Amino acid sequence: MRAETHKVARLHAILWGIFSLGGMIAAFLLPVLIYLTAIAYPFSLWPFNGAKDPSFLVTGHLLGALFVFVTIAGSLYHGIFRFQSVLTEVGLLKYRRALEAVGYFIIFVGIIILAYYLGTWYVNGTIR
Amino acid sequence: MGDANRYPELRKRLTPGWWTANRHYAMYMVREWTSLFVALYSLIFIYGLSLWAAGSRADFLNFLKNPAIVGFSLVALVFTMYHAATWFYLLGAISPVKIGRSKTKPWQALVLNLVLLVIISYVAIWLLVLR
Amino acid sequence: MSQDIATIRVTRYRPEKDSKPYFQEYKVPYRHDMVVLDALNYIKAEMDGSLTYRWSCRMGVCGSCGANIDGEPKLTCASFLHDFKGRTITVEPMSNFPVIKDLVVDMEDFMEKLVKIKPWIIREKETPPEQGEYKQSAQELERYSQFSSCINCMLCYAACPIYGLNEKFLGPAATALAYRYIEDSRDQGKDVRFPIVHEMEGVWECTLVGECSVVCPKGVDPMLAIQKTKILGATNALRSLLMPRGGHK
Repeated sequence: MRAETHKVARLHAILWGIFSLGGMIAAFLLPVLIYLTAIAYPFSLWPFNGAKDPSFLVTGHLLGALFVFVTIAGSLYHGIFRFQSVLTEVGLLKYRRALEAVGYFIIFVGIIILAYYLGTWYVNGTIR
Repeated sequence: MGDANRYPELRKRLTPGWWTANRHYAMYMVREWTSLFVALYSLIFIYGLSLWAAGSRADFLNFLKNPAIVGFSLVALVFTMYHAATWFYLLGAISPVKIGRSKTKPWQALVLNLVLLVIISYVAIWLLVLR
Repeated sequence: MSQDIATIRVTRYRPEKDSKPYFQEYKVPYRHDMVVLDALNYIKAEMDGSLTYRWSCRMGVCGSCGANIDGEPKLTCASFLHDFKGRTITVEPMSNFPVIKDLVVDMEDFMEKLVKIKPWIIREKETPPEQGEYKQSAQELERYSQFSSCINCMLCYAACPIYGLNEKFLGPAATALAYRYIEDSRDQGKDVRFPIVHEMEGVWECTLVGECSVVCPKGVDPMLAIQKTKILGATNALRSLLMPRGGHK
């Protein structure tokens, strides 16, 4: 029993490490992505005040697709991990296991779908 | 020691509204709830890409121009910036750098990392859009 | 000659008489240099001998006199009446602990946690005294020195909502003490302490509320100790994942 709980705790340590990395990503990379999609493009501001649009972020270069993947995957992981924790602090502590299961499921599905889209676009040449 | 457990001890449980008790706790809650907007924006972005995958690029772009999506994204940006600022401050609190005899303060880490954020954002735009 | 009066509202809980706690107000003569402990001592000596509370050194080194004063965990001996707004001050037992009577809380859980993290130098092999003392440089001392200042007053546990929500959480003071030994160059007990602090209800419950470090009267900064311990846990887990046979220290 001791060894088993220790394995879970070790796994949790790594999951926490990824959460921390996601926090860095959400802090340093997410703001510019939101700026590009929600301010620059809808209001025709720099750098989308010409012909380009946010889809160019994904298709223009592999680097752009990677940037989108890392930023969205990292932010999704960080956000869900932390929000699940917040919910346990506002009265839902007894549903912790269920919240964790749902949270990790959403993270897993979200990242798989994102990787699938970007992967197929890379393979079929949509991403240069 | 035998009499010690004769009378019941008073146990008070923290209620879900515990964080309204003082300003520090309330600010903590606001800081933590930024995570909801970070997660939701990511999910909505993936949904936008799914419209592209199922239809065409134009479906994704029209989705981005949808006023409800723009409105939500602007709110998400405010919360994301608050996450970034509090995250930078915490980095400063956890990893003070020793300079000579004194240690750096958290607000200095906040300023430094905000400048770094601007630089990284500009580099990202230059590398990914302008080039 | 009219005297300046302060009103002290104190929680009373006498389980042999009452099923519920209630507030009792006492009017004490006010002096500018009075601390809350002075007021409590005045009440007990002159007005109501049944008022029950812990105190000892009255100078902020023993850690006995913790209480919630106007909602904030503080030492009663270190809280001047003039620092509070108005002349009415509310004194309650420290949050998040079961109350035995009046302002006296049950410390058992805290004591168990202190012992659990083995707060002593652990050596793989003790060197006999004849071989001389363990030497430690000033830099090595600085790595853990602030965390050794803890007076076990439990204000950090009273301030921590995570502990309030989940009693199993190891908590600020115990983790800071564990970190004090982990960072001590004389200690070789990481293998023993890491499993304790890195278990699920160890450091991972902490979400950086940070109130523990705000209320600590000795500047220990338990929040810092917990975060450093988390980082140690994550790097340790990663190392054991990537190098299953490689030793970790």
